[in-house]
Parts: sequence; C-alpha cells; structure tokens
Amino acid sequence: MSFIETYTPLLLSGLWATIRICFLATLLALPLGLGVTLLLRRPGRALPALARLYVEVMRGTPILVVLFLLYYGGPSIGLVLEAEPVGILGLGLYGAGYFAEIFRAGLQSIPQGQREAARMLGIPSWRILLRIELPQMLRLVTPPVINQIIVLIKESAALSIITVAELTKIGAQIANETFAVIEPYLAVALLYWLLIELIALAGHWLERKAKHG
Amino acid sequence: MKPEATDKPLIEIRNLRKRFGTIEVLKGIDLAIHRSEVLCVIGPSGSGKSTLLRSIAFLEAYDEGSVTFEDRLIGYREENGRRRRAGERELNADRSGFGMVFQHFHLWPHMSVMENVTEALRVVKALGRAEAEQIGREMLDKVGIAAHAAKYPEQLSGGQKQRVAIARALAMKPRVMLFDEPTSALDPELVGEVLAVMKQLAQEGMTMMVVTHEMGFAAHVADTVVFMDQGRIVERGDPGATFADPKSDRLRQFLNTWRERSI
Ligand SMILES: Nc1ncnc2c1ncn2[C@@H]1O[C@H](COP(=O)(O)OP(=O)(O)OP(=O)(O)O)[C@@H](O)[C@H]1O
Ligand SMILES: [Mg+2]
Repeated sequence: MSFIETYTPLLLSGLWATIRICFLATLLALPLGLGVTLLLRRPGRALPALARLYVEVMRGTPILVVLFLLYYGGPSIGLVLEAEPVGILGLGLYGAGYFAEIFRAGLQSIPQGQREAARMLGIPSWRILLRIELPQMLRLVTPPVINQIIVLIKESAALSIITVAELTKIGAQIANETFAVIEPYLAVALLYWLLIELIALAGHWLERKAKHG
Repeated sequence: MKPEATDKPLIEIRNLRKRFGTIEVLKGIDLAIHRSEVLCVIGPSGSGKSTLLRSIAFLEAYDEGSVTFEDRLIGYREENGRRRRAGERELNADRSGFGMVFQHFHLWPHMSVMENVTEALRVVKALGRAEAEQIGREMLDKVGIAAHAAKYPEQLSGGQKQRVAIARALAMKPRVMLFDEPTSALDPELVGEVLAVMKQLAQEGMTMMVVTHEMGFAAHVADTVVFMDQGRIVERGDPGATFADPKSDRLRQFLNTWRERSI
C-alpha cells in the first residue's frame, strides 16, 4: 500500500519526536518530583506547604492549560521558548507533581522504625535518605512510576495543539493532506501502542531485576 | 551486679513529662540508672513504658523535666536560662552512648546482615570496609549469628533478626542498651535465644534498661524492677521483694493477672 510507503518516514519522525520529548520530560520530572517530595518533609510550615501547593496545582490543571500558560503566558515573564522546549518543560512540570505523590507514598510505606534505628546509631539524615530510604523506595515505586511514564506519553499528544511535530500532530497533518482519516490515525495509534508496550516490558524487567537483588 | 547507692547514676531522669496532644502520658517520672545496672520496666499496656524509653532516647521530645547521661542533658540545650531543641548533630552526640533495640527489630531489609551491622561503623565512625567487617564479625559472633552474615533479614527467623539488631546496636559500643519489648514479637520457642544473649550482656556488665513482659527475665536478671501504671512509677525495688511482696494493689493485680495467664 502506497500510503505506508509514502508516510512511514514522516510517521517515524513523529514517533521519534514523541520519544525524545517524553524522555527529556521524564528526565526533568523525576528529580523535580523527588525534590518536591523532600520539601514535604522539611521542618517548618512554609516549604512543605509550597510543595503541597505545587502537587495540588499540577494535579488540578489539565496538561493543555499548563502548556498554554507556558507557551502564551511565558513571554510575559520573559520565558520565550520554541514549541518543543515548552512542551518538554510543561510535560516535565506536570509529571513532577504526579511523581512527587508516588515518591511520597513510597517513602511513607517504609516503616518509621527503620529510620529510628538508623538515628539511634547516629547516622545523619542525608545518609539515611541515600542508603536506607531511597534504595527501598525506588523498588517500591517502579511499577507506579512506569505507569505514570505511560500516562505522560499519552498526555504528550496535547503538545500537537501548540504545534509540536510529535506523533499526533504528524497524524493530523497526514490526515489533512490525504483526506484519509482512518489510516493515519490507525498508524498513529499503533505506534503509540508499540511504544507503550515497550515501556511496560522494560518496567517488568526492572521490577524482576529489583526483586532478585 | 548491684549498683552502689553512693555511685553517681549514669542516667538521671527528673520529673519527666510527656504529652501527646492534651493527654499526658508521662506524669513526672524520676528514675536513676547506675553503671552495670539492669533495670526492667513492667506495667500494663498503655502505661507509658515505651514512651519513657523513647523519651530517654529522645525519639520523642519530652515536654518537661530532664534526662541526663553522665550529667549531659539529652535533646535540649540550655542557653541564657532558656531551652532549645538540640540540632541533628548535637542530638547524635547526645545519643552516642545509647544503643536501642526495638520490638520489631527494624533491620534494613535491602542490606545483608553484615551490612546492617557495619553501616553505622562505616558512616558514623568512618571505618574502612575491612575494619568495619572485623568488628561486625565479632558482634555477630557474640550473638551467635556469624554463620548468617551474608544472608538478608527476610531469610532469618524472628529470634535471629533480633539478635542481629542487638549486634547492630552493640557494634557502636554503646554505654547503655535500651530494649523495648525485645521478645514480644517472637514466636514463644524463639524467645529464649534472645533472652540468653541479653543475659550474657548483663553478666558482662552492660547497663541495660529493658521494657518487658518476661517476668522470668525480670526476676532472674534485673537488679531493679520498676512498675509503671498510667504514666507514673508506682513501685520500684529489687525483683525478689517486689514480686514476692508488692506494696501496691495495682502491682498485685498486675502480677495476679500475669500468673493466671501463664498457667
Ligand atoms: N505517637 C503517639 N501519639 C499519640 N499517643 C500516643 C503516641 N504514642 C503513644 N501514645 C499513647 O500514650 C500512651 C502510652 O503509650 P506507650 O506506648 O508508651 O505504652 P506502653 O506501656 O509501651 O504499652 P504497651 O505495653 O502496649 O507497649 C498510650 O495511651 C498510647 O496510646
Ligand atoms: Mg510499648
């Protein structure tokens, strides 16, 4: 079928853009999410409140609104970026709110007594975090983190609205050119599905590896 | 080992008070622990035994009174007549004489037995691996677990886990060991192996404060028994006299209930 021959390179470029954007957004969102989680545990009121506000705002706002705010509102605070960096930033900030929640739950499920035992031995809190909490937390959160990455991949379709040439945008573009609707979007759906299956497989592998030391 | 009445106590607790919200859980505790003394704390559930132990270790910040270890105030600094909470480093220094063993062991499950025992040596005392592991092996030997050094906590029985937890605390060379119901989470057939290790420690002269429901241990190993009820120390004395001839109705009742249960 000539449709496939003609449009495969374009579709693959869209897939590559989606992979690149989601990878970079995740790379931003994971440490940022961890940072937010750690703020939640700081002494005092202000920093934890700020962290909670961040999570609430990101969870309560559609990704598209986050993107619009950054893309159209960004310039008014001096943030002028091209569509793709805005997309990565928006997706990263958005994802960080969810990752923070996942990390918080992960840390909470480590028995408090493990920390107390460490404190009684004089181990400083940053070492407790690094050596006792994080290794256990990362094992616990692998499944929900993978799940959230999959959600981010699907949410990244919203970047098509701010003209990023990612997979969904490419599908729409092909549909426009060919007046065919079914084929391009079926191809797009298939590629998303392949990507997500791959991530899920990698997740299972990670989980199994974590379980066996 | 009998404490000399004239000895200066290692730990002194004066008018210790602790509230959770509006509920006062410790209502003015006065207590002294001498070098090499084994002090057992008994009492009904909810009487404040764990809170007392945790306040001494400053895992709970007490509200009033004082805990001193060799005259050093634990957990607070007094400056210009005012008290402020000790910072993390200060608190670590305050606690450096304490070893603590918990009811539920609280081993770190992602670390091997040897790593559990050597972690603090490496991090806090900055020992090299070889040196830390040598001390680790000594400690594991002492509690009879040396053969399991490479295993992970989940591969051990409850009694073995608790012995590892004791070795972990001992590795830091504490001056006093605090035990909070160390055998209460164990299957009955595993209680003995842990009590044997504790008895051995006591015989070596370790200063120990043990919250326990093991009346046999208290009777045979303790120098002093303290009976708590509703946030107060109701009775204290040497175990022989205290168990044979309780002064208060509450202790008599408590002992009777215990005797009925253990028949
Ligand atoms: N973190 C806490 N917050 C609120 N209340 C607490 C807390 N810890 C303990 N309490 C309360 O303080 C009281 C004394 O508790 P504590 O654990 O010291 O008793 P205990 O003598 O150790 O009892 P048990 O034999 O059951 O271990 C109880 O009423 C308990 O509910
Ligand atoms: Mg208790």
